[in-house]
Amino acid sequence: MSIMEYNGGSVIAMVGKDCVAIASDLRLGNQALGISSNFQKIFPVTDRIYLGLPGLATDVTTLREVFRFRVNMYTIKEEREIEPETFAHLVSSTLYERRFGPYFIEPVMAGLSKVATGGFKPFIAATDLIGCLNFAKDFVVAGTASSKLYGAAEGLWEPDLEPEQLFETISQTMLNAVDRDAYSGWGVVVHVIEKDKITTRTLKGRMD
Amino acid sequence: MNSLANRFSTTGPINELRRAKSVLEDDEFTDSAWGSEAGFGSLAKGVPNFTVPSVPDPSAFLRLHTDDYADPSCRIKIQHGTTTLAFRFQGGVIVAVDSRATAGSYVASGTVKKVIEINPYLLGTMAGGAADCQYWETYLGIHCRLHELRNHERISVSAASKYLSNLVYSYKGMGLSMGTMICGWDKTGPAVFYVDSDGTRLKGDIFSVGSGSTFAYGVLDQGYRWDLTDEEAQELGRRSIYAAGHRDAFSGNTCNLYHVKEDGWKFIGNYDISKLHYDGPGETPGAGYGYDVRVERSAAIAVQA
Amino acid sequence: MPDMIALSHPASGHPQQRQFNPYSENGGTILAISGADFSVIAGDTRQSEGYSIQTRYAPKVFRLTDKAVLAVNGFAADGNMFVKQVRQRLEWYRHAHAKDMPLRAIARLIQTMLYARRFFPYYVYNILGGIEEDGSGAVYSFDPVGSYERESCRAAGAAQSLVQPFLDNQIYFKNQVPQPGHPHPKHLPLTTVIQLVIDSFTSATERHIEVGDGLEMFVVLAKGSPLYGLENIDGVQEMTATNDGERLFVVRRNLKRD
Repeated sequence: MSIMEYNGGSVIAMVGKDCVAIASDLRLGNQALGISSNFQKIFPVTDRIYLGLPGLATDVTTLREVFRFRVNMYTIKEEREIEPETFAHLVSSTLYERRFGPYFIEPVMAGLSKVATGGFKPFIAATDLIGCLNFAKDFVVAGTASSKLYGAAEGLWEPDLEPEQLFETISQTMLNAVDRDAYSGWGVVVHVIEKDKITTRTLKGRMD
Repeated sequence: MNSLANRFSTTGPINELRRAKSVLEDDEFTDSAWGSEAGFGSLAKGVPNFTVPSVPDPSAFLRLHTDDYADPSCRIKIQHGTTTLAFRFQGGVIVAVDSRATAGSYVASGTVKKVIEINPYLLGTMAGGAADCQYWETYLGIHCRLHELRNHERISVSAASKYLSNLVYSYKGMGLSMGTMICGWDKTGPAVFYVDSDGTRLKGDIFSVGSGSTFAYGVLDQGYRWDLTDEEAQELGRRSIYAAGHRDAFSGNTCNLYHVKEDGWKFIGNYDISKLHYDGPGETPGAGYGYDVRVERSAAIAVQA
Repeated sequence: MPDMIALSHPASGHPQQRQFNPYSENGGTILAISGADFSVIAGDTRQSEGYSIQTRYAPKVFRLTDKAVLAVNGFAADGNMFVKQVRQRLEWYRHAHAKDMPLRAIARLIQTMLYARRFFPYYVYNILGGIEEDGSGAVYSFDPVGSYERESCRAAGAAQSLVQPFLDNQIYFKNQVPQPGHPHPKHLPLTTVIQLVIDSFTSATERHIEVGDGLEMFVVLAKGSPLYGLENIDGVQEMTATNDGERLFVVRRNLKRD
């Protein structure tokens, strides 16, 4: 059995037109037994960055605090908020510190990064459990339902989706993928990040 | 001397070849392969025969390639994970099952028929190897009909289940995997027998089999009485499968419900387990079995009062 | 290559143990969808072992009769031999009964043929598609040892977990709430189904290394069914062999070869 399957859970992030979305399931399990249907795996990092941490639940809690600490230290020292690209490298190096005894987490992040002209550019990234970065232009997935998410997203996603369309696309991708995964599901949460607002919706999913 | 020993030994390479050849000969054309005698028609020859690899220990060979407990990376995945239940009560037998089939973490199917309709009076449930249950319970159906033709009388549930249990016992150690409940109504009234591929055969009032059985038993034991009405009993079966489908990752999708009475079994319905969670068996939104759904409901009632 | 795996060093002088491993995995994906009066059975044509491509054109979908098509996936040698044996049994049936075997009977035949090898299984996942005696489109899916079920949509093989959730959403409209007064259609039109099949395979090709090269798609039409615009599809080829009324077509497409 894979260590990812011990608690289960999946995360996906997608790029839209001037917006990004990130979604996860809400299940926390102990192998086949479902324990909680309200286990958050996605956490806000700044006003424009969200971080998803699918994997071993104990490491979800630990890493969440590690990143909160490191981002706070960065903000204090630099006297500015961290940019998504910088944060991605922070995630990568934090994980690589444990190269030979890793956290069992495959982080996924989504955010909007400032550009020189004053606007914002969508940003998504994912890493493996030892911090190898993947900057994709369309979508990134992780967790027990990753293969199902890849298939559904590849079929449903298209470039330049408006925030509402992006919400619909990521929701359908997530719901249909986790329904084919025994270890993910029990509800879904979706965050859509735009330059001036973040919309968080909790979806009713299959409860089996 | 060595060649002489080889000739008469049962494990040497010559013998291996001899056995391989006899396997090939089984595959050759026989009358039973013609037309209507094909498939289960080969019963004309007596018992069905199986191709066995010509290796010293065929069951070890099978285990190597199919047993996903021993080796999760093995290629041939046999279905595991299920919840099935059956119980006897005043009004007959209730049989309820889920419909999920998983291969590793992948939900391979959400529409599996885990109740096998052996004949209008007998039902069998499916847990373990899907093919083993389907094949042998179909085979059992043939023999139940032959029993009727020979004896001008329906086979008893006890006899039918014993036929199956003796049959799987004869394959013990070969790798069959089934945990089934044979349910029906005969001269003695409603009857449920648990039969599995180890050769166990038990008569009883309440059984649940599969990875979600503990969850089903929890609800079943709590709500069971002999004098349940038909509606109460059906609700108990449905509610128990819901509980298992909800908590067990390897059970779920839908619940198939059957009721066996004196005049044979009746299919009651197919219920989406997620719909049972939110809305219950009826069409009322918010009337579901789910814990949070019920909390919300009682909160709404408290506000009204 | 199926072979004997040595478990200890041959020159060590210790007793050796060898394992009989007659199985291999040749990748690829198959897919079948049924409609009201038609059935579509498709498969890619890449055959691989590990990271190597053995050939870019090895059919996995086979015509059995004018109303039955069988797709096989898993170990190619077992698959090809199995199709050969099913075809032989169907020919014997034709000789005995002077007609083609009905689809549901072929499905049961395949079950007994697979189960006859319960203790030495064919490493093959089968999907049977075609037209039933009542004229409806049907899909039967099998596991390697013969358990089977009639469905209306099924993907199997290397990319089944990529393709199936997409199909659940687009064919069964799973997780989609219908507009009031506009319930989801029970059956989809043929042109939509063909488009979904092509999309599924291009998606699978994009994300799975064992899928690609070519797509072979069989379409079976029921007796008296119109062509539904099939004649306008690029490179469609009719394969009908009898005058029973059912019509069989094949559509071939290129998939990415990287």
